[in-house]
Amino acid sequence: MIFIGMILSSCHKDHSPGITALKSGTVQIDFLHSVDGNPLVFDSLEYVTSLGNQYMVNDLQYFVSGLSFHASGGAWVYIQDSCAIHYVDARIESSAHWLIAQHLPAGNYDSIGFIFGLDEADNRTGRFVNPPERDMFWPEMLGGGYHYMKMNLKWKNQAMQETMPFMFHLGIGQMYSGTTADPDSIIGFIQNYFPVKLPVSTVISANHSSSIGIEMNVGGWFDGQNAFDFSLYPMGIMQNQSGMYRAALNGRNVFSIQPIVYN
Amino acid sequence: MKNAAFFFFILFMVSLISCKKPADAPASSITTPYQITIPSHFPAKLNIPSDNPMTVEGVTLGRFLFYDGRLSGRTDPDSMMSCANCHIQANSFVCGINNPKYTNGHPFGLTGILTPHYMLPMINLVWADHGYLWNGSVSEANPSPRPQNIEDVVWMAIQAPHEMHGDTNRTKTLIQSLKGYPDLFMKAFGSETVTIRNTGKAIAQFVRTLISANSKFDRFLKGQEQLTTSERTGFVLFMTEQGGDCFHCHGGDGNPLFTTNLFYNNGKDTVFDDLRDRYHVTQNLSDIGAYKAPTLRNLVFTAPYMHDGRFKTLDEVIDFYSSGVVWSPSISPLMHHVATHGVQLLPKQKADLKAFLLTLTDSSFVTNPDYSRPLKMPDEK
Repeated sequence: MIFIGMILSSCHKDHSPGITALKSGTVQIDFLHSVDGNPLVFDSLEYVTSLGNQYMVNDLQYFVSGLSFHASGGAWVYIQDSCAIHYVDARIESSAHWLIAQHLPAGNYDSIGFIFGLDEADNRTGRFVNPPERDMFWPEMLGGGYHYMKMNLKWKNQAMQETMPFMFHLGIGQMYSGTTADPDSIIGFIQNYFPVKLPVSTVISANHSSSIGIEMNVGGWFDGQNAFDFSLYPMGIMQNQSGMYRAALNGRNVFSIQPIVYN
Repeated sequence: MKNAAFFFFILFMVSLISCKKPADAPASSITTPYQITIPSHFPAKLNIPSDNPMTVEGVTLGRFLFYDGRLSGRTDPDSMMSCANCHIQANSFVCGINNPKYTNGHPFGLTGILTPHYMLPMINLVWADHGYLWNGSVSEANPSPRPQNIEDVVWMAIQAPHEMHGDTNRTKTLIQSLKGYPDLFMKAFGSETVTIRNTGKAIAQFVRTLISANSKFDRFLKGQEQLTTSERTGFVLFMTEQGGDCFHCHGGDGNPLFTTNLFYNNGKDTVFDDLRDRYHVTQNLSDIGAYKAPTLRNLVFTAPYMHDGRFKTLDEVIDFYSSGVVWSPSISPLMHHVATHGVQLLPKQKADLKAFLLTLTDSSFVTNPDYSRPLKMPDEK
C-alpha cells in the first residue's frame, strides 16, 4: 500500500522509512504528438481546424512539471526537485522520453497528474541558463520565467493566398490598464499553467520498469468548445490574455494516455 | 634521505621530458588548466571538445598562431595570411566595413577569390552550438572526417581557395622550422612535432577565450548601471512580441548571448540561389534561405550585416525588419509580422531600438590585450 502524501524529494533519493528499494520500480513517460489520431507531421499543410483554417506545425516545444501518481483512496506520490520539470521538443526524439525515478514505490496507481507549463514556484527567471530550456525564456517585463509552450505554425483560410506565420505561445499573461499591450501599463499578471489529470491503470512492480505514453492531440488546441481562430490574433497571443486563456482552456483536453508497456 | 628524494624527483622530471609521445597526444599533466570564468547570466555549459581541454599553454600557442601570417605556409610578405588578416580585434573579429583592403567588409583570399559569405563576429564561441558558419555546416553532428568544430575550421581556412589557398603539409613544415614554436607545441601538447591537428586545437583554444560580457546592458542586468529612457524603450521593443519581437531569435535578458545560434529565414528574399544556405546542409525545405542568427553583441563594430552583407548600417537593418520583410514558403514562422512586411516601427521607435542595440557594445572586448597580437612572435628576439 502506498502511504499517503509520500514525497520523493529527488529522482534518485531513497524512500522515506517504510518503503524499501526492493518495493520500487522505474517509470518512463513517453510523449507522443498526433493530429486526428495520426502522428504529427511537421512542415506539412495537411491539417484543418474546426473553423476551416488550414495549418502546418513547424515547431513544438513545451514544459511539463509537477508529475504525480495517484492511487485509489487518495494516496499519491509527487515527483520533485531534479527531475520535476521536463522539456519536450517534439522534433527531437530523445526529449520525448522522461525517465522519472529509480524508486517509485511499487503498487497500483489509477491516475497520473502533471502541470502543463510551470507553476509559480517552478517558473523562476534564470533557472535555466543552458539551451534548449534557456531559449524558452519569457521576457521579464511580460511576467518572466519561461514559455510554457512554443508552437510555431503557419496557417491560411480560404481568403488568403499564402500561409502566414502564427506563434502559438503560452506563458504568463498580462493585464493592461489601457487598450494597448504596452508593458508600462501592466497592472497584473495571470498564471496560465494548468493541471492535467489522466486516468491510468498502472502497476509499478518491484525492480521492473514501466512506460506510460502521454499523447498530445495537437489539433485539440484549436478545436472544441473554444475553437481558436488565428485571424483574431494577428499579433500573436503572448501579449493577449484572452487568446492565451482560450488556448489554455483547450489545452486541458489535448492529453490522453496511451497503452502502457511493462518491461 | 632528503638527497634521495631530490634524486627521485629529478629522475621523475627527466622521465617526463624524455618520454616520446605521439604528436597528437593529449596535453600532459604539466599543462596548466585554463579556467574560463562564466559571466553573470551566461550559460554554465561550455562547448569545449573533450579531446581539446583548455590549457594556458594551448591558448598561448593558439594566440601566436592566430596572428602569424606564416600559417599560410609562406614567408613572402605578399603571400602571408593569418586568421587575423580578416578577423580583426578592433572590429569584434570581423574585417570591418571600412577595411582598406576588403571593400565593403567582404574578405577575399590570397588569390583574390571572395569568401562565399560575409563574416560572422567571433564572440563568445565557447558557448556556440548547432554548428559553425552561417549554415552550421561545421557541426559536431557530422561524421568524421567531415568538419565538426573550430579545430577543423583552421585546416579548412588553410586550404580554402578563398582564404589561404595553402597546403597543410607546407604550413606545418614551416611552423616546425620556426624557432620557438616546437617548444610551444611541446608545452601545449607534449610533443615538439607540429601537426595541423594540434595547430587547429591551439587556435581553437585561443578563440574560445574571446568572451564579451562587459557591455552596458551586462552592467544593467547586474544592477550596476541604468539604461536611458530611450534605451529602455528600445529594450521593451526588443523584448515584446507586439514590439520589435527580436528576442525570439536573438535572446535578451534570458539569453545574454543575444543569439539562439539557430537558423532562420528572416524574410529577406523571395528567390534563393545560395548553395550554402541551411537547406544545403539539412535538405529540409523549411530551411531554404535560412541562416544562423548572429549575436547582436558589438553590432557597432560588425557591419555590414546579414550573410551577404546587404545592409551597410544598423539603420538599414532596422528599416528592413520594420517594413522590408517579404514572404516566401520557407519564411520562419517567427516572422509573424510578414503580413505587414515587418513590425512597422515609427521613427522614434527605430531610434529607441537602435539606442538599445548600442548598449550591447563592449569596448573592452575590442581592446582586451589578451586578445591582441602578441608583441613578438616566438622566433622574434
